[in-house]
Formats: sequence, structure tokens, C-alpha cells
Amino acid sequence: MARLMELRVVTPEKVVFEGAARSLVAPAWDGWVGVLPGHAPFLTLLGSGPLEVDSESGERRAFGISGGVMKVESNQVMVLADRVEPS
Amino acid sequence: MAQAREVLRRIKSVRNTRKITRTMELIATSKLKRAMDRMVAARPYSDALGELLRSLRAPGLEQDHPLLRQPAETKRAAVLLLTANRGFCGAFNANLIREARTKLEELEAAGVETELHIAGKKGLTFFRFRGRAIASSTIAIGDAPTPEDAEGLIAPVRDSFESGALDAVYLVSAKFRSAMSTPPGTQLVLPVEPRADARSVDAFIVSPPPVKLVGRILPRYLTSVVYRALVENAAGEQGARRAAMKSATDNAGEMIDTLTRSYNRARQAQITQEIAEIVGGAAALE
Repeated sequence: MARLMELRVVTPEKVVFEGAARSLVAPAWDGWVGVLPGHAPFLTLLGSGPLEVDSESGERRAFGISGGVMKVESNQVMVLADRVEPS
Repeated sequence: MAQAREVLRRIKSVRNTRKITRTMELIATSKLKRAMDRMVAARPYSDALGELLRSLRAPGLEQDHPLLRQPAETKRAAVLLLTANRGFCGAFNANLIREARTKLEELEAAGVETELHIAGKKGLTFFRFRGRAIASSTIAIGDAPTPEDAEGLIAPVRDSFESGALDAVYLVSAKFRSAMSTPPGTQLVLPVEPRADARSVDAFIVSPPPVKLVGRILPRYLTSVVYRALVENAAGEQGARRAAMKSATDNAGEMIDTLTRSYNRARQAQITQEIAEIVGGAAALE
């Protein structure tokens, strides 16, 4: 199983983050969702809260996001957020 | 000498004008650069969202979500016109206004009721002067449009479409082909046209159920379409302004050349005449 997945965090205005991630925890509309490499195709609405990402180097990054959708497909995670605050 | 001095004054005035147009050209160039960056930055989001939406077009969704309805006939349509707040950009605004008028006339000729929504001072002034009823207008959108601006524009029209008061929404804005070419264009925003390349989402775990998800994604998609048009329009405006100011600067340069030539000729004529007078006076003394 692949140990990394490609993550893109995009807002209407720009691409906020693009890179590899080991795992992430996202605030979905109905609760927290954890995504690991090899996750099944998945589509969900997002609520608001921190999007926590374990990046390739093992460093933990968090983005404050609110609203939007997340799509997971063949190890590619696309977060389309209405708003992202770097934190 | 009177005529020569007159020409000299004109040269000075044209030179000042050229200074202004050149500065405006430079400002437009730098604003264009930033506007183009914004345009490029806005692309990934709307592309991804558009693709997502297409993949969600499961059969039967039309009945389930009011925003996806496909009206059998168009009784009432809205035209959303985006123009600039400022002039000095050649035919940019005039082109957009003409495009919108053509569309309105075309719709009215087909017996469709129309309503007009305008963003930008130039379009607003024109249609207000013509005495046309304007459903809504804003002049608050600046050089750097935000998604909130787009949301504010589309929200009322979207609600009317959803409630069934409107059957179609057209967006008139400038297409940014290049900095030199920004032709006006009309696109159908609502109803959302079904695509042939729809891909099913059966393989996906979808949460919440697709109908609800589409209901949330569609408004965002519409906003991003309008946002993109706003950003493109802003870039087009700067491009058109740069082109207009460049030709104004060039024309001023040519004018200065011609005026300088006629100034020199007038001065030379003056000198020649003075010499002739002196020679004539000397000859009379002999």
C-alpha cells in the first residue's frame, strides 16, 4: 500500500497547499474524518475547523478551513474549501 | 512670431497629455499582471468543482434539486452584465454594453420577459440614461474582485431561478484571449447544461447523499463561474486600457512630431522674412 497521498487544498482564489501527506484529519459536515493513504473513493461536505495534515517530513500542519467539499480518489485528496486561514 | 508661439504652446500641452497617458499605460500594465495572476490562481478551484459536479450528475437528480431543473420553455430570463467602473479603456465597455443589448433584444424578440442586473458603473450609467428598468446593480467591485462579490451578484438570481421565477440566466462578460484581445461574450449560467461526459459516482462513498451534496455544491459552482468571469473581466479591462493608452501615447508622439515640424517651419519663415526686410531696407538706402 502506498504510504503517501497527494493533497491539494484549494480556495476559489488560489491553491493554498499542494504536496504529499501521510495522513490527515478533516472537519466534515457531520464530524471528523481521518484519511490515510489507500482510502476508498470518498466525497464529503466540509464543516469548519482545523484541517490537520501530517506532511511527508512528519511535520504537522494545520489549516483553519470552513465550508466546501473534499474528494478522495486513488490516493489524491482534493480539498475545495470556501475559506482557508493558515494557522 | 505669434503663430510660432501658438504652436509651441500646443506642443507643450500635447507633451503633458502624453505624460499622463504613458503613466496610465504603465499603471494598467502592472495591474494587468496582477489581474492575470488572479485569473490563473482561480482556475484550479473552478475546474475541480466543475469536474466534481459533472461526476455527480446521476440520473433523476433534475427532479430532486430545484437548481438543476431544465425549464421546458423560457418565460423569464435574467441578463447579468459585468462592466468596468472606469473608462479610458477603448471600446471595452461599449462592446460589453452592445453584447448585452443584443442579447436582451434577442430574448425580447422571442417573447421572453427580461430583467437586467449590472455590475460596474459604466454599464449602469448607460442603461440608466436609456431609462431601462434595472433589477439590481453594484458599483462596489474593484480591481481585485472577491468570491464574496461574485456571491452577492449571483445570489438573488440563483434564488429566483430556484423558486421558478426565472428560467434562464445569462452572463455577459469579457473573454480574456490576450491582453490585446478581450471580446465580449455571453454564457448561459442557468439552467446548468447536462454534459455528455458525465461520470457516475457509484464507486464513491458519498456523504451526505448526492442530492443534498449537489444542493450544496451547485451554489458554490455558480459563484465560482461568476467569480471567474469577474476576474477575467478585471484583467480584460486592464488589458484594454493598456492598449488604449499605448495608442494614445503613440498618437501624441506623432502629433508632437508634426507640430514640431510646423513650429520649425514657422520660425524659419519668420527668420527668412526678417532677412528679406533687412536686405530690402539696406537696398533702399543705397
